[in-house]
Amino acid sequence: MNKKMIEVKNLCKDYHIVKKEEGLKGAVKGLFKSEKKTIEAVRHLDFTVDKGEIVGFIGPNGAGKSTTIKMMSGILTPSSGEILINGVDITKHRKEVVQNIGVVFGQRTQLNWDLRLGESFELLRHIYQIDRNEYEETLDVMDEILDIRKIIDKPVRQMSLGQRVKGDLVAAMLHSPDVLFLDEPTIGLDVSSKYALRKFIKEINKVKQTTVILTTHDLGDIEELCERLIIINHGKMMEDGNLVDIVDRIAPYKTLVVQYYDHENIPVHHSCEMIKTEGNMAWYRFMKADITAAALISELSEKKKILDVSIEEAGIDDIIRIAYGQ
Amino acid sequence: MKLKGLSKYLYVYKTQIIRCFTYKFEVYGNILMQSIIMITSAFFWRALYRTGNPVAGVDVEGMLTYIIISAMMSVLLITNVERRIENSVQKGTIAMDMMKPLNIFGIYLVEDLGSITALVFQNLLPIFLVGSLLVKVPTICSTEHIPLFAISMLMSFFINWLIAALFGMWSFTAVNVDALIQVKKHLIRLLSGSIIPMWFFPDWFRNILEALPFVYIYQLPLDIYIGKSSGDELAGMMMIQFVWLIILLIAFAYVARRATKKVLVQGG
Repeated sequence: MNKKMIEVKNLCKDYHIVKKEEGLKGAVKGLFKSEKKTIEAVRHLDFTVDKGEIVGFIGPNGAGKSTTIKMMSGILTPSSGEILINGVDITKHRKEVVQNIGVVFGQRTQLNWDLRLGESFELLRHIYQIDRNEYEETLDVMDEILDIRKIIDKPVRQMSLGQRVKGDLVAAMLHSPDVLFLDEPTIGLDVSSKYALRKFIKEINKVKQTTVILTTHDLGDIEELCERLIIINHGKMMEDGNLVDIVDRIAPYKTLVVQYYDHENIPVHHSCEMIKTEGNMAWYRFMKADITAAALISELSEKKKILDVSIEEAGIDDIIRIAYGQ
Repeated sequence: MKLKGLSKYLYVYKTQIIRCFTYKFEVYGNILMQSIIMITSAFFWRALYRTGNPVAGVDVEGMLTYIIISAMMSVLLITNVERRIENSVQKGTIAMDMMKPLNIFGIYLVEDLGSITALVFQNLLPIFLVGSLLVKVPTICSTEHIPLFAISMLMSFFINWLIAALFGMWSFTAVNVDALIQVKKHLIRLLSGSIIPMWFFPDWFRNILEALPFVYIYQLPLDIYIGKSSGDELAGMMMIQFVWLIILLIAFAYVARRATKKVLVQGG
């Protein structure tokens, strides 16, 4: 157990882009002389992921998530730093290492538009040298969750987005890789497709001990799948740790929502902050360390008669908002 | 192990053939175009040769064979690698090629070979039939020249492919290389002897052409086919063809290694 699957050491990626100047004058000038601008997309990332972990890789748009995923899957070459997948450097041994990696980009497909889905699978079966029996077995397992055999004879061109992403997910898992990278896999999907996808990811993680790294903007994905979060912004590591720990540290409060019988003289309490009132409702934010919910309720009920209460935990959206610096 | 690696590419090749046969109608335009070029230039050469004198040792029959074989060769020399690279870079789908345990240029090469295989049936044979029926049956000058033609044609294929790949790789830095690809296409059309054999040009111009790689794509295999060139002269030309192949191979290997490091995936 606790075998290191992915090791990222001091990873950096710079892009050089041509700076475009304003207006016609700038455009003409650009024909003769172009100024290059360097963008530091990823700066000194360090982390390790153990076998069987599901890690949520989150950050705002343009934070460098996709760039990092593309470097880890051998598509982009890092400017500096090292990426080891199962102990092997992917930059130096791309072809060998990618044999052990599956990748799904929610916004792109590796399936062939012109051919039946099965034809794309058959091509992958040969590219990854998968034995026919093993291939059929894998397909059976995936069919249980994703119902893939139903669409296997359909040309990819005619598929709905949900079907296509399912197809891509199966395509990425056909060769039973140890590591699965998912770049916004649930983007644009409906609720039932999302549900099937998450179920699938959980299942392969449990059964095959597949290490999963996913980027997403979907809170549901994170809540249901990820035990660990890596939050990056401006190419730099902001947070790395257990989801629960991060929540406790960044947002160590809960909110008590109290409904009184009427809206007059709504009481305040010294160890918590009343964040808003609305009619006969009041929201109290309290630190877990300062007071317990039970004590707060009983003390408030002494001041005014309470009709109903509920407690809101700090959600992942709060964490993300705080971590993104808003 | 090596053989196992090859079987992967073999399947990419096979898939490409299946793909090409799924769009049936797109390829027939080329038959029409090549037939028109073939027939109109047959009229043209017949008119020019009316006096009956051979030019540079080639008579009218040789010239007619030349244009039919040239049209057929043009099918074998269709490349898509430059557009394939350009498209992949522009749309970012190059990520899909890079994440596979294959060499991306290996993929592009066998894809082109697959397309050509499909085109042999969809294009080359129809052009051969049209030429044979409406112009003449293009027979080779002597059976001894068959292996020489085959070797030269093979080298010509790779010279042509490597030039296309090199132009395509420009898109790793320049992204939009449409115009460059057009320039390349016309350079090959005009300077390779595919339409006008270079023996019609003045000496100084011919000397320039012989120093460029283009004539080794069309002119040399065609000369071998119609028996224009033989003996020491032919051996010398084939040596130069081989040297060009090696030069382009080295250039390709160098550029390919640098270009793949430059991959910039657009969007996402």
